[in-house]
Amino acid sequence: MMALLGRIHPQNLRVIALAIVLALVIIFFSTQIDSYLSPRMVNRIATSAAVILPIAIGQALVVMTRNVDLSVGSLVGIVAYLVGDTLGHTDLGPFLTLLFALALGAGCGAINGLLVAYGRVPSIITTLGTLALFRTFLVQYSDARTITTESLPKWIVEIPQASLFSIGDFEVRVMVVVALVAAVAFGIALAKLRMARALYAVGSNPDAAVVAGINSKRVVFTAFTLSGMLAGLAGLIFLAKFGNITVVAGLGFELKSIAAVVVGGVNIFGGSGTIIGVVLGTVLVDTIDNSLTRWAIISEFWRDALLGMLIMAAVAADTFMTRAFNRLRRGGEA
Amino acid sequence: MTAALSDMSFDIQPGEVHAIVGENGAGKSTLIKIMTGVHQPDSGEVVVQGQTVTISSTEEAQRHGIAAIYQEPMVFPDLDVAENIYISHKGLGALMNWRKLYADAAGQIAKLGVTLDVRRAASGLTLAEQQTVEIARALSLNVRVLIMDEPTASLSAHEVDKLMAVVAALKAQGVGIIYISHRLEEIFRVADRVTVMRDGKHISTRPIAEVTQGKMVADMVGRAIDKFAMKTAANDHGGEILSVSGLARDGVFRNVNFNLHKGEVLCFAGLIGSRRTDVGLALFGVEPATAGEIKIDGAPRRIHTPQQAMEQGIAYVSEDRRKLGLAMTMPIFANASLPSLRKFLKAFGLIDGDAERRMAEGYRDQLSIKSPDVLIDVGKLSGGNQQKVMLAKWLETRPRILVFDEPTRGIDVGAKTEVHNIIRKLAADGVAVIVISSDLPEVLALADRVLVMREGQQMGIFDIAQASQEKIMALATGQTEAAS
Repeated sequence: MMALLGRIHPQNLRVIALAIVLALVIIFFSTQIDSYLSPRMVNRIATSAAVILPIAIGQALVVMTRNVDLSVGSLVGIVAYLVGDTLGHTDLGPFLTLLFALALGAGCGAINGLLVAYGRVPSIITTLGTLALFRTFLVQYSDARTITTESLPKWIVEIPQASLFSIGDFEVRVMVVVALVAAVAFGIALAKLRMARALYAVGSNPDAAVVAGINSKRVVFTAFTLSGMLAGLAGLIFLAKFGNITVVAGLGFELKSIAAVVVGGVNIFGGSGTIIGVVLGTVLVDTIDNSLTRWAIISEFWRDALLGMLIMAAVAADTFMTRAFNRLRRGGEA
Repeated sequence: MTAALSDMSFDIQPGEVHAIVGENGAGKSTLIKIMTGVHQPDSGEVVVQGQTVTISSTEEAQRHGIAAIYQEPMVFPDLDVAENIYISHKGLGALMNWRKLYADAAGQIAKLGVTLDVRRAASGLTLAEQQTVEIARALSLNVRVLIMDEPTASLSAHEVDKLMAVVAALKAQGVGIIYISHRLEEIFRVADRVTVMRDGKHISTRPIAEVTQGKMVADMVGRAIDKFAMKTAANDHGGEILSVSGLARDGVFRNVNFNLHKGEVLCFAGLIGSRRTDVGLALFGVEPATAGEIKIDGAPRRIHTPQQAMEQGIAYVSEDRRKLGLAMTMPIFANASLPSLRKFLKAFGLIDGDAERRMAEGYRDQLSIKSPDVLIDVGKLSGGNQQKVMLAKWLETRPRILVFDEPTRGIDVGAKTEVHNIIRKLAADGVAVIVISSDLPEVLALADRVLVMREGQQMGIFDIAQASQEKIMALATGQTEAAS
């Protein structure tokens, strides 16, 4: 055990600790909720996480550069609504629709990026502003109309039920696969691209990054643009999942994504984090959230408080376990 | 890895200066952290005035009369001197008696035999003055044991003299001082006893009168080392590679002129604050010059960003590891490859992780960086090893002109000799080297030529044959108008 731990990189120890916490949470709820480990419940959590995962990945990129993107919830709303609105009168087909959603998100994200990187406005202020601006724009634009499933083309309405393949009783939904493909793509990119290394460097030590010849403004700008683009993807998944879109679409997603990122072990002060951690963080937060709604003994009023408490407990358990692993690891090397 | 510290016994008497020396990683920092309550010992005890105590926090350490000051002073920049001194005092009452506070603060400062306006904001103080504030803070807390960890690493010779006077004042008041320094000549000036540590173990404790420098170094490294490897005879340098004329940055430095040849080592000497570092930063484009000309291979070049400097084959090893040097949360290999990452790309712009790791491992062996693997975060290494990672990072850019800013500041004798040998080898290989150093023996050991600066002005540039410590100090302090 010790010798094994010695060979594992500290970053991976964290991921293992997180996976153990997730397993414990699932075991706990399976004792509390009837037919918890059913395909239905798995699908419910997976599709719910599929909406948050792209946002959380984008948020992770931004947080790694020592910034934060509070506008992602509003962005999901804008993209879901505008794409739905457009599809209502012009069917763009799947490919163009995806492109449209990504471009719209990236465009809005680029506004954040410009203000933060080149305008030197602190990200918390910038994105707090755009959070309100984007949402207000949506309220104005929508004129209190709602996008309904009936107005949407058939192909998009069918996405939530579409499965790519199934493993036994477990259906693997297209939406989940799309989110996972995004995660894998960004996971590889973060580990292997020069730009990604620059991202870590800027978050870890901005001054040293500049001295190493890195254009830190461009890095921060790119992070925000990608965060917007991923929020665009989430917006499209959101539209497909729910079909009926009102002006409150995506409300509060910024906090959920930040929770997922922090639970997933991304350093809130920038410079470190992994996509696998973000995936586990997202799944953990969504598992707790969805399980609480099904947990009969919990009143609806207590749910948010309990969600907050469980997230804190999960982070504490994770930190504790990572430390214990690291201690064992050091012991193992003696 | 073994225990950071084992079986360490050590005592300090009132009014005594007890020096602790050892290479980086010898366990000095761990010892301090135990005494100041940052770490808890796994076994053993701390006895203060005959009573066994447990120290679980810095605050508790202070209650037992133990405090520490470090190489980089920790002051609150927006508070004034008096507020900084009394920051950790309790029971001053809900309403501040400012008049009394300032008077008391002035009293504390006076006890140290220095003059300092207690109403000045800490942000405007020099490092030495900030240190004085920290010492006064410790004194105001009735500290009986003061730990000074590399207090002179960032000070100029003149400031070191002042600090020595402060130490004498503290001794006279019966404060026991634990003095940690890599500068052995200081130890002989100030210490009553010396303890040598190596690899987390106690090696020797002797009265200073019974120690020689050679003995001390031998104890530290576990072997005898040459004091300074001799300079390679080759003074026949290659052609001129860099020529700087009238270089200036508004309000910082002005009219700097020099040239540099392949294989030559040019040292910038001067006191802290003489703006030598700013010239280095200008050459590297971090804070570009506002006037003057930089010619490389005879052609004028515009250097306004580090990127442009790197394209010209310039590298800059910063004095400030934490700020401009390393990304502490990133592993050794990623730090080493950061400026030259383009070299490690394969198809589709993907990083070739194996090649990257092999490169880092090569430097680990070559520079003897003490680390089991190159995946460890740089923040977990000791200062000397961090310095070497920084060196690896810039060597990998294969520079033609290499600027070292205080390359051996705060690193131990063994590592210092290694760094000197590396610099000399680079020069022998034809790299043009600029070394900014406040350490005069280092300047005299390394330089082919010396450029002395004072308050942003170039005071002179001359061959090492015509240099002496006295001449350099005279120019650096402006004592004479001796032209060179």
